[in-house]
Amino acid sequence: MKHEPMTQQPRRTDPKTPRKKGDAAFDLWLQRGLHKLFDDVAREPIPDELLRLIEDDREGGSGQGADAPGPEPGPGGGSSGSSGGGPRPTGGR
Amino acid sequence: MKPTFHDQLIAILPKLRVQALALTRNRAAAEDLVQDSVCNALSAQTSFIPGTNFPAWMHRILRNRFISNLRKQRDTADIEDVPASAFACEAPHEDRLALKELGTAMDRLPADQREALVMVVVHGLSYEALAEQTGCAVGTAKSRVFRARRQLEAWLLGEHNDGRVGRLGNQTAVRAARDLVARARLAAADNAVTSDS
Repeated sequence: MKHEPMTQQPRRTDPKTPRKKGDAAFDLWLQRGLHKLFDDVAREPIPDELLRLIEDDREGGSGQGADAPGPEPGPGGGSSGSSGGGPRPTGGR
Repeated sequence: MKPTFHDQLIAILPKLRVQALALTRNRAAAEDLVQDSVCNALSAQTSFIPGTNFPAWMHRILRNRFISNLRKQRDTADIEDVPASAFACEAPHEDRLALKELGTAMDRLPADQREALVMVVVHGLSYEALAEQTGCAVGTAKSRVFRARRQLEAWLLGEHNDGRVGRLGNQTAVRAARDLVARARLAAADNAVTSDS
């Protein structure tokens, strides 16, 4: 995963709070740190078991999910128990 | 030839793993979450409309699965499992400490903020794409990233208004982080001078 400049860095939403030079430096440091923390995870080989699961499904056609958990509400909505309606993870403020 | 559903699923696995780790903070739980999400996606593949946004569809399945799991087991797993390989690099000692502090601080963020920050900074998503992939408004996506970044800065650099240091308590790491930021600032200034000349 390449290390690109942090083009999507958050911006101050309050115009009364001017962006400090240190913010850009912190953004850069944060970007590098997060890449160090997460890039290795992305680069790790995919477990054979998982690849086999996908390849078996590819060869067998759809509808192989008999043992799979029930489908979660997809992006277009749907429901699975009480989790429909776009719930948020806990801990958000 | 257009990639098939299964090709797209395999291609997105690395990003799903990162998202899963950002949400769960635990390697084993992240692997389970990815596998469960893949099972869900395979089961629900007929509901995916070819040509539409597959990454968004898949990231939302994983996210919904995480939320569903969270409801089933309110107490989450340990947060100790920051990627060990992250600390195995040849960074100087203080850099490693700062990185460890960053990992600890990330663990303390709310899951939605941590996920948002990783998807924007590590995956390079736009706020619009983040909003689509996490099923929230663009403003909410921006706010999550902003709050995550601001909170990390406060914890790691201790930039409270009253001059107190960060709450993490590891002064060496805080110094290292400050030093890194100072070096990054110098590098940015050098780049600016170079581009001006």
